[in-house]
Amino acid sequence: MAATTDHQEHTDTTPPAPRRRGMGPIATAISVFGELLITAGLILGLFVVYSLWWTNVIADRAADKQADKVRDNWAQNTGPGALDTGAGIGFLHVPAMKNGEVLVEKGTSTKILNDGVAGYYTDPVKATLPMSDKDGNFSLAAHRDGHGAKFHNIDKIEKGDPIVFETKDKWYVYKAYAILPETSKYNVKVLGAIPKESGKKKAGKYITLTTCTPVYTSRYRYVVWGELVRVEKVDGERTLPKELR
Amino acid sequence: MYGWIWRHLPGNAWVKALLSLVLALAVVYVLFQYVFPWAEPLLPFNDVTVDNQ
Repeated sequence: MAATTDHQEHTDTTPPAPRRRGMGPIATAISVFGELLITAGLILGLFVVYSLWWTNVIADRAADKQADKVRDNWAQNTGPGALDTGAGIGFLHVPAMKNGEVLVEKGTSTKILNDGVAGYYTDPVKATLPMSDKDGNFSLAAHRDGHGAKFHNIDKIEKGDPIVFETKDKWYVYKAYAILPETSKYNVKVLGAIPKESGKKKAGKYITLTTCTPVYTSRYRYVVWGELVRVEKVDGERTLPKELR
Repeated sequence: MYGWIWRHLPGNAWVKALLSLVLALAVVYVLFQYVFPWAEPLLPFNDVTVDNQ
């Protein structure tokens, strides 16, 4: 209360009150303009908070829910569940990225990726799924910042690091063998069945991780290629392959 | 602008402050829930795929 009475005394004795009434049109315009600028600054600041924090919160929430669904489905051991590709086909484990497991779903549309998952390409080049046992490229994309930021630490992957893909009954262990730190976003050749830019000439079982770079922008794309080393069967306890232990 | 809002809020300074806080939170809610999700895809910050477009 002391503060308010103090304030009233102020308005009684000092000019602000009459000045308010007598503010000229130019002064009013400048004051409104200034307040609009402050507002714009606050909104931009809030947008940064939204992009880098809030989208992660909601994406992780969505991803956890969907991952639980996939795990439940696997645990129930139902036949048709194995074919249910709508909810996610497996989990990607990249110890070098230190982000645990990343659910992999079909498609790389904004709507899919914004749920904090990695998506495998269906367009412009269709990914070859490891479960098909065919030669080809298992190409994936995920967000670098915001929306779960699942590939934020993609630059921590070095040649030779393991990239493990977990499905209901198999561990597909890949090894990173080539990194392209910067390429055009139109460079769809990186997704090819035989990614020539990685130095490969023969057909094989490859994995490709793509995301945007540098961080906080989308100017270029960052690409990591891996090659299948071995496939391990999942045992009763889902014992992790030695790369993840 | 803000001065105008302040003068048109009812009650004493405490009520006005409380109402201002509620208004500010409402604005933040609308921004996070509707405006930013709409604006984000229009800005070039979060495209992660390679494509032909």
